[in-house]
Amino acid sequence: MKTHLKHLAVFVCICVVMTALLAVTNAVTAPLIEKNQNAAANQALLAVMPDGSGFETVDMAAYELPATVTEVYKETAGLGYVVKLTTAGYASDMVIMCGVKADGVVTGAVCLSSNETLGKEKTYGENFTDKDAAAVDAVDVIAGATKTTQAYKNAVKDAVNTAIILGGGSVDIRTEEEILADNLDAALPAGEKAFDKVFRVDVFDGIDAIYAAQNGAGYVFVVGEQFVGVNADGTLVTAGADNAAMYADAVTRLQSSTLEEIDLTAYPALEKTVVKAHKTSAGHYVVETKGAGYGIKGGNEYHPASNEYILVRVAMTADGKILDCLTVSEAETDGLGDACADESFYGQFVGKTEQDYTDIDAISGATMTTDGYKQAIERAFEAVKLLSGGDA
Amino acid sequence: MEKKTTGSVLFNGILKENPVLVLILGTCPTLATTSTVNGAVGMGLAALVVLVCSNVFISLLRRIIPEAMRIPCYIVIIAGFVTIVKLLVQAFFPDLYSTLGVYLDLITVNCIILGRAEMFANQNPVVASALDGIGMGIGFTLALGAMSTVREVFGAASFAGIAIPFLEPYKIEFLTKAPGGLLVYGLLIALIHVITKGKAPKKTSFSCASCPNAGTCRTGSCAEKGAES
Repeated sequence: MKTHLKHLAVFVCICVVMTALLAVTNAVTAPLIEKNQNAAANQALLAVMPDGSGFETVDMAAYELPATVTEVYKETAGLGYVVKLTTAGYASDMVIMCGVKADGVVTGAVCLSSNETLGKEKTYGENFTDKDAAAVDAVDVIAGATKTTQAYKNAVKDAVNTAIILGGGSVDIRTEEEILADNLDAALPAGEKAFDKVFRVDVFDGIDAIYAAQNGAGYVFVVGEQFVGVNADGTLVTAGADNAAMYADAVTRLQSSTLEEIDLTAYPALEKTVVKAHKTSAGHYVVETKGAGYGIKGGNEYHPASNEYILVRVAMTADGKILDCLTVSEAETDGLGDACADESFYGQFVGKTEQDYTDIDAISGATMTTDGYKQAIERAFEAVKLLSGGDA
Repeated sequence: MEKKTTGSVLFNGILKENPVLVLILGTCPTLATTSTVNGAVGMGLAALVVLVCSNVFISLLRRIIPEAMRIPCYIVIIAGFVTIVKLLVQAFFPDLYSTLGVYLDLITVNCIILGRAEMFANQNPVVASALDGIGMGIGFTLALGAMSTVREVFGAASFAGIAIPFLEPYKIEFLTKAPGGLLVYGLLIALIHVITKGKAPKKTSFSCASCPNAGTCRTGSCAEKGAES
């Protein structure tokens, strides 16, 4: 026992001596190691803010910042901020580092890690150097890598907003969906924040969009920047809105409008192009037409089992003016042609006629899809001409 | 134990008992860090410092360290010096630190260090142990330097990071990979045999002092054959 204790004492003594040596070494090296680590970290930050002299971490908890922001560093001389962001790309998350001066001008942006198919994000950041918030908005997304570059662009905008917020400014960091939801709720609180966009099958001149409360409480009409809430009985909710009679009439027509299905077997010419057709109680038409998707590459014939066509629902007056448009289904390429299902694309056709319906912005990197969509719209015009002529 | 002169203690490790090319010890860091000359020489020098320090410390304490507790004591001492070297490299040579990575920590379990501690330092005076550490460390560094020179020059057309443009079209990238490292390692071992004209010590001609596992087999075959431990 005594021997064991002696052995243990020797071992403990050796441990104590080695610990002391380590403590001394650590005391000498710790400041240098910290300096080296800071220099290495600064190296990455300097890549996006070359004029920076030093950086310190910003406590993000004190601010309400965009959700994509993961880390923020302040340039010690007050030059600006370096913002690290994580955003969803096409294949996986992208980690982006962006330097922004105190006045909101981007000093540089690099993608630190990504797994995108085309790798466009590796150099896309160069487009943002020396751009302010407005100029960042004007940077084009890259055709063929729309989802990747749009996400990158949004991240840079978030970085600019972050710098503005940290600099004491005020920025609305809500997404477009959140802004819309807030506006709808403010216009018609009785709708309890649950609204559906109305597919307009009647003429509503001067009204940009209509949303119906899911609980039947009423409607919200969007006119320019204004959101006007109207109860189901036609009374205005939004105080001070003009044209109360117009909204009351619109509500009446929305509630009374009915659709009558048209038997397409009587129109053999529409067999391959039109899936459904209805006539409204106001004498307008709603047709669902097919356009050749990218997989069909412009072909006119469809295999019965094929779903590679774009199905478009179009509401149109009998004299050929588009009242509303909606993509019912599509099987286009993810991240490219599938943008035809975005309202920002199909909404362009609203108000168009046969003379100017081709005058819309094509989908970046998806010319075949855009052409297919136009083909579906063209077929809607042809169908309505035939159907209205037949009625007459 | 064979009587060794100061010179033989120092120079044995460089060629005759080179830890890497003759004793075949420290194979893991040898293969891992020899793809570049800078990394290999850095590893060799780091191991040299640890070898010298641990040999000196263990030699100083050889009459105090209990026989039954010697391996834990050696490990604590070696690990301590490895950590000290790691902190110094991290502080003063950050590029080398990032190049060596985890292999710097793994010096702790490098057979050469523990082998020399167990078989030489704990039986010899401080000066001889220091010389043994220096000799073995230089031998380790030279072996790594030679191997990394072949691999980097012919595999990456550069030396210590400096490009050799005229070799660029002829570089054999295979040499920078693990199989290429094994091939070069084997060729260098063969070269040592050629240089020593067959006089290179055979395994059986080593004393147990050359074997890092000897500490656990003192009553085994080596001792029975009369080999000195």
